[in-house]
Amino acid sequence: MKYMLKVFSATLVSLILSFSIANASSGVFKLSHDLGFGKDTNLDAITKGRLFQVVIMTQNRLVRKNLDGVTSPELATEWSANADATEWTFKLRKGIYFHDGSAFDAPDVKYSLERVKDPDIGSPAKKSMSSVTDIEIVDAHTVKMKLNTSFADFPLLLTDYRLRMIPEGSGDTIGQTGIGTGPFMVDKFDPEGTTVLKANPEYWEGAPGVAEVHVIAIPDGEARVQALLTGQIDMNRYVPFSQKRIFDNNPKFNVSVVPTGNWRGMVMRTDTAPFDNPKVRKAVRLAVDRQELVDLVMGGAATVSCDTPVAPSDQYRLKMDCPQNVSKAKNLLREAGYPNGISMTIHVSTKEPTWPTIAEVMQQQLAKANIKADIKMTPSKSYWKETWMKKAVAMTRWNERPADSILHEAYHSGAKWNESFYKSSSFDKNLADARGQLDFNKRKAAYQNAQKTLWEETGTMIPYHVSKLVITSSRVKDLDDVEVFSIQWHKLKVD
Amino acid sequence: MIFLIFKRILLGLITLFIVSLITFAGVEVLPGDACTTYLEREAYGAALEACYQRLGLNVPAYERYLSWAYGVIQGDFGYSLSGEMKINDVLGPRVKNSMVLASASILIGIPIALLLGIITALWRDKFPDIVISTITIFSMTIPEFISATLLILIVAIWLEWLPGIVIVPTGASISELLPNIILPVIAISMIMTAHMARMVRSSVIQVMSSDYVQMAILKGVPYWKMVFKHVLPNALLPAINVVALTIAWLLGGVVVTEVVFNYPGLGRLVIESISNRDLPVVQALAIILASIYVGINLLADLMTLMLNPRLKSLQIKK
Repeated sequence: MKYMLKVFSATLVSLILSFSIANASSGVFKLSHDLGFGKDTNLDAITKGRLFQVVIMTQNRLVRKNLDGVTSPELATEWSANADATEWTFKLRKGIYFHDGSAFDAPDVKYSLERVKDPDIGSPAKKSMSSVTDIEIVDAHTVKMKLNTSFADFPLLLTDYRLRMIPEGSGDTIGQTGIGTGPFMVDKFDPEGTTVLKANPEYWEGAPGVAEVHVIAIPDGEARVQALLTGQIDMNRYVPFSQKRIFDNNPKFNVSVVPTGNWRGMVMRTDTAPFDNPKVRKAVRLAVDRQELVDLVMGGAATVSCDTPVAPSDQYRLKMDCPQNVSKAKNLLREAGYPNGISMTIHVSTKEPTWPTIAEVMQQQLAKANIKADIKMTPSKSYWKETWMKKAVAMTRWNERPADSILHEAYHSGAKWNESFYKSSSFDKNLADARGQLDFNKRKAAYQNAQKTLWEETGTMIPYHVSKLVITSSRVKDLDDVEVFSIQWHKLKVD
Repeated sequence: MIFLIFKRILLGLITLFIVSLITFAGVEVLPGDACTTYLEREAYGAALEACYQRLGLNVPAYERYLSWAYGVIQGDFGYSLSGEMKINDVLGPRVKNSMVLASASILIGIPIALLLGIITALWRDKFPDIVISTITIFSMTIPEFISATLLILIVAIWLEWLPGIVIVPTGASISELLPNIILPVIAISMIMTAHMARMVRSSVIQVMSSDYVQMAILKGVPYWKMVFKHVLPNALLPAINVVALTIAWLLGGVVVTEVVFNYPGLGRLVIESISNRDLPVVQALAIILASIYVGINLLADLMTLMLNPRLKSLQIKK
């Protein structure tokens, strides 16, 4: 009997042990960053030098985007708007603590978001907050944000990866501490070496699956690939597609291709002849074979776009086909008064390595429609200042933004970065209608009408949205197969 | 003699002055400036003005050169692009790391190079010479980015003996660095040793065929006594200059090796700051690397001068 009891208790102990081991965080997940901001690298999400690989693991937003591009709660549990969508009330999650032990509540939200507008910080994220005129603390767990315009999709703006919640008054130190409410805590910050993060056992979505995360500075792309091959890092999201073959069919690695909302394009200034004629612009865009560009420039790893800047995964994306149509392009040119075609100079630089390639492929395609394109290389160092928005035809690139942001920032007649100098009152009106429309389907229709207008008139040719090659070591488990800002890091495990 | 030393130092300073002018002018004539590259699409209006103010770019070029040069003379290279980091703080650990890598390579590479060079010269056109010369020529001709990558492939990926790339904290201590630098040291030593062995070989052969050695042989001096007493001291003197150049190359020029192995030394800093367009740091590096070359060459010249009795007496006769 005594023996039986011993065996029983031993089994029980081992069972409990194995349970607690199964639930505890274990293992080290290693990833790299390219030290792209050199000496300015810091952990303040809203600055230019933010090391986002760390911030997205240590700090939370109010609202996140789930995998269908729809908003879902993060540190805000629910939200509602007044009738014309100019006032938004957010209920905050209760019982949440920062890594320094202080409680998360409404003053932290006010502080974190108002910092974004601070002119001394000069945050690149300030556009996301530009419509917010006031943040009011209703009670400890409720904030009300007042906007200077109707905006039915305001919560979508708060999913910006930079709008992270930090403790009130921590602005001077946050760049070094990275304190937040996230699944991992900064143990040692060494931007040029290895930054060590430890699991936050109290994380509100549950303790993370891995005990430590190492974020390692490896500036050189080739060295990053070597590090992945030798098992010194577990994930590389910057492997060029030309190197995909090394990892295909290798049991040590998992290869996945993730679509993104980042795009490349060619801008024709709509205020400059002959592109001031919408027919000429459409002719050029019709003469382009987008699928061929995807295949030749990106090796197939991109999603064709019909000149819409809205990401493929965005709920408001207009889905349509736009195959190359040379005869229609020629007809349009004839109608516009150019029966013998036109000639143009495409300005490129190596700022974006694929620009020259895109231009060369297009040169061949456009020639079929009697459009003679010359390619002019300009210095990459001064590209944004001297070439972009200066020359009649120049290449551009944008990173993923919510539909409303990109449509406003790049096409609204009043936008500073309206790179094609596009002015359309019907387009502007569609955007304004969408912002004020609380009914989802009507709002979607308005955003899609705006995109249809672009297809008819835009000066910006957008052939595709690029995909990203993500390679992980096969010891990594449960990594969400999405763009990096939507990954739920606490779920990640390593063998 | 003192006049000669003084002249050499003066020449070195003039060289540095010209280098500083060229670097500064080079950065000036490039299209755009530090602020437009840093701010990218944000480069307009108040933000641009504030950046000019912070970096002091709103004064004429010659004034900026003078104040920059004044700082450099005092050992202050100013601030990096963002204006938040002192360049001196950035350079400190990098210089140390490069010195560690250079010292390790020198300690391993130079003795091997001397040994190989002497062996190949003494057994000229015989079996040891043919084997060693073939290998050295081979390792000389393979560029380091290939040999380094091959080393990683074989030692780190296939055999899994050593880590492939160097992952160390910025301010890593020497004991932390040493286990990580085995592969980089091998990659550097391969090229360095091969070059130096070839130099030593031809120098020894030259001395061996000189009249006084022939004379010594005829007089019946024992072979090894002759080699050690008469040949090597004279043959190795020219090697000092080669060694000096190698040290300078090791401190600043092993850019490719440092980048391939992710080694946080001066070479990687050159690439990093060029790709970040961190022009203040690039300027500082150009001056530092030029100073290293000028300084070490000066030292080597002086050493040769002192060790070579003929040069010394020539000066005295004058």
